[in-house]
Amino acid sequence: MNAIPIPAFLVVAGIIFGIGAFGFLVRRNVLVALMSIELMLNAINLTFVAFNRAYPHNHTGHVFAFFVIAIAAAEAAVGLALVLSFFRLRKTVRSDEGDLLKN
Amino acid sequence: MDLLKLFKPDDFTLLAIILGAPLAGAFFNGVFGKRVGKNGVRLISMAAMLVSFFAAVLTFFALSQHRHNVHEEFEKTGVKGGAEPVSKLAWLAWQWMSMATGQSDGRLSIDVKFSVDELSAVMMLVITGIGTLIHLYSTSYMAKDRSYHRFFAYLNLFVFSMLVLVLADNMPLLFVGWEGVGACSYLLIGFWFDKEANASAGRKAFIANRVGDVGMIGGMLVIAHYCGALDWSGIAQNVEKLVLHGGQPERIILWQREAGPFSLSPATIAALALFLGCTGKSAQIPLYVWLPDAMAGPTPVSALIHAATMVTSGLYLICRLNFLFVYSPFTMAIIACVGAATALFAATIALVQNDIKKVLAYSTVSQLGFMFLGVGVGAFNLGFFHVVTHAFFKACLFLGAGCVIHAMHARIHDDDKSQDMRFMGGLRKYMPWTFYSMGAATLAIAGMPFTSGFFSKDGILYHVFVNRVVNPVVIEPMAMMRKMEEQRQVFTGPEHDMLARRIAQYWQAPNWLGPVLFCVGILAATMTAFYMFRLLFRTFWGEFKGWKVAPEAALRANPMENLEPLVDEPEAHLDAHGAHGDDHDDHSHDDHGHDDSPGEAPAEAPWPMAIPVAILGLLALFGGFLLAEPLHIEPLGKWLEPIFGDVMQHKDVAGLLSGFVHMRAGAAALEWPLMVPGVLAFAVGSGAAYYLYVHERGIHLPGTLMDAYPGLHKAALNKWYVDEAYEATIIGGTDALADGAALMDVWVVDGIIAKLTSAVVTGIGAILRTFQTGVVHVYGAFIAVGLLGIFFFFGQPHPNVATHKEGDTFTLEAAPGLGYEYRWTIDEGAPEPAFTTGEKATTRTIQLKKGEEKYVTLEVKNAFGRTAQKIVHIANPAPPPPPSSSMKPVGVPPFKPRPKGAQ
Repeated sequence: MNAIPIPAFLVVAGIIFGIGAFGFLVRRNVLVALMSIELMLNAINLTFVAFNRAYPHNHTGHVFAFFVIAIAAAEAAVGLALVLSFFRLRKTVRSDEGDLLKN
Repeated sequence: MDLLKLFKPDDFTLLAIILGAPLAGAFFNGVFGKRVGKNGVRLISMAAMLVSFFAAVLTFFALSQHRHNVHEEFEKTGVKGGAEPVSKLAWLAWQWMSMATGQSDGRLSIDVKFSVDELSAVMMLVITGIGTLIHLYSTSYMAKDRSYHRFFAYLNLFVFSMLVLVLADNMPLLFVGWEGVGACSYLLIGFWFDKEANASAGRKAFIANRVGDVGMIGGMLVIAHYCGALDWSGIAQNVEKLVLHGGQPERIILWQREAGPFSLSPATIAALALFLGCTGKSAQIPLYVWLPDAMAGPTPVSALIHAATMVTSGLYLICRLNFLFVYSPFTMAIIACVGAATALFAATIALVQNDIKKVLAYSTVSQLGFMFLGVGVGAFNLGFFHVVTHAFFKACLFLGAGCVIHAMHARIHDDDKSQDMRFMGGLRKYMPWTFYSMGAATLAIAGMPFTSGFFSKDGILYHVFVNRVVNPVVIEPMAMMRKMEEQRQVFTGPEHDMLARRIAQYWQAPNWLGPVLFCVGILAATMTAFYMFRLLFRTFWGEFKGWKVAPEAALRANPMENLEPLVDEPEAHLDAHGAHGDDHDDHSHDDHGHDDSPGEAPAEAPWPMAIPVAILGLLALFGGFLLAEPLHIEPLGKWLEPIFGDVMQHKDVAGLLSGFVHMRAGAAALEWPLMVPGVLAFAVGSGAAYYLYVHERGIHLPGTLMDAYPGLHKAALNKWYVDEAYEATIIGGTDALADGAALMDVWVVDGIIAKLTSAVVTGIGAILRTFQTGVVHVYGAFIAVGLLGIFFFFGQPHPNVATHKEGDTFTLEAAPGLGYEYRWTIDEGAPEPAFTTGEKATTRTIQLKKGEEKYVTLEVKNAFGRTAQKIVHIANPAPPPPPSSSMKPVGVPPFKPRPKGAQ
């Protein structure tokens, strides 16, 4: 049960979150940005279930993880639809091309 | 038929029919009138009026029956010699509002309640009866108008509003009707609103009436405050509170003078304020200016609204509140003076007007002045009777004038010229019915003996001479004083002086006022006879001058040529026409007149127009026998007795006959002799008109007089420049105020407030705009930076302490935080042993003596094991030092300072 200490999970989650955040901030491809968001969400899920290990009689962390997964799915659906229509409009998926409201 | 079994006197729902029918007609005509066509509109409006009139007649019979019952009851139980009670049929539609009052202990409730008593029954019959006749007339007069349905919708709405006004059982509801008729008047004056002059005449009427409405509302507030009621019977019961307060005179102090405060009794203020409202609605000086301009509306409107009904609503109000107005003899005197002045002033203007409707308009103003003169001297029944007779003859005159204009318009096709008497003449031949009817009405208004105008006008003048209004409050002391003088022959002494002083507290009109007003009235009556016969002679006698007026097309080609000679010397022009062949400029016009496609010859109006005129003419001739005081045929006087009984009837006070409205000694003997000046006025006025306009037509006497006093004539023709004076003073002042406000708007509101605000917003916007790059990653970076900042903040412990002081007890409370543990150091150098958490850990209570102070240290450790500390300084201030002797308050016994060092 106590084979892996919680800080280990947290470190892994932190690394994944960092990769996601970094990817979101530096990549211009919208698809990659969406994937980065998924990475960050999964990192958070990892921390939820990891913390829940410390309280075996409580399932808040698990339930929360499921909620996050559901939200992530919905977000991916909407996000991909946006990407699709964006692509139809501008023939590109680079986020800095999406400047129709400017000027 | 026993109507009173069907409708109870206190729930007389038949009134709903009287009111509802015109309202329904107005609604239907207004909404669907265009779709149902002219015949439909005619049917609906006539049906509405007839239903209303029929219901009004039924109501009248029911009321007389009810009155009979009331009278019998009164005979059985009432006090002998007391005034007869008013009989009233009432209908409570719904309870409107209710509010607390300042003085009375009860609540002031304002209901939508209608009632009909003797006074409003007469008004109701006049409105629905004459209204029906005028509706019938209008169906033909307006037949060619595009906005037929709109006209009848307005006219029905007017009748509804007017009925609300007279049937209302309280002042606010009367005010609703008052404003309703004002709105309808506005709409109908500006009925042909595509002409600028008509629209502005409507606005003028509306604005002049608003000035009066201020008075109405002010009067209502005063009455509500002092009487605690606004319904008629409530005001009547509490009317003494407007004059007396606990036996002492009630005064409202207006301003302080060196000689003492200037004050008026609430009764005077209320009555004056209401009278201001009446001057607006009933066109008296100074607010009469709107009525002559109101002739811009269609002629039936002038007849119904601006002669027969609406303009008399001020009179109705005064008659309705007669018991209130007699409590202020000062206001009564003002009313009489204003009435007399208006009667004379308007008559002088009417003498020289050329527009047939303008003559009638000024005549209306003048006759309204007579009515106010009558009620001002306390002859309420005759003033009100003049309302009725005036409704007959002036409606007839206006409708007759409408027939004339109708005929002239068919010939000339010009709105202004078809009303100009200079183009009329000889119409007797073409329209005999109109002539006979208008002739009858002219005889009546001029006061030919035994016509209606004679009985009402000469009755008023007689009472002006003999009446004297006495404040009801002083009747008792006066009676006591007279008793003392006549029975005990006491003329001095303290008792006598006290009574004299009590009487002197209240203002009374001087004795010379009545005869002076009488002379003014006679003068105005003479002028009335003159200008009315001038109108009649110039319209119906002589030759028709309309032939010489070219139809519009020719006029437009050379308008001045045709118009000029007629304007200067109408009679001379006529002669020139007769003396054809003179080597004179006039040739050319004659050719124009006869050759250029003349319109139809003037002809008698169609029957829907002629019949109402004839009926009204008959009423004008014989209506006088409703209240022929000298002949003692007074059905109307008997009918109205309960309304004016309190005021007019002589009451038995302290064994002596007395009344609010006194008559001079020997008044009865003067009744016939005083009629002589009135009859003379008729004879002189009409004779002069005959001499000038028929008999001596060739001499051009009017023209000569005109030439002799050109300035006078011009001033009278221009209405004594009253409009110009108002323009220069009031309207100019308003304009100047508006200009000032506009400057303020431009410089302060626009310049400072608006520009400064927009500059600030623009500046802030310019800064904030730079952050909105539109690049998603930059936003993401901001989020990341922000999150880091929040993490950093929550990574630190934050010791915060709030201090509460209660007496000498201080409570220290540490701010909570996630995972915080606390350690307090209260006594210096002795920290608590360990960090604690939980509820007890966050607060500490400390007792401090006066003047003591302390430093408390709080250490906080958060979940990451970091600690931080905060030092709090608490101090209990010492009591303030004793006040020094220089601050010693005045009037308190001298303060003895304590010796130093003593505590």
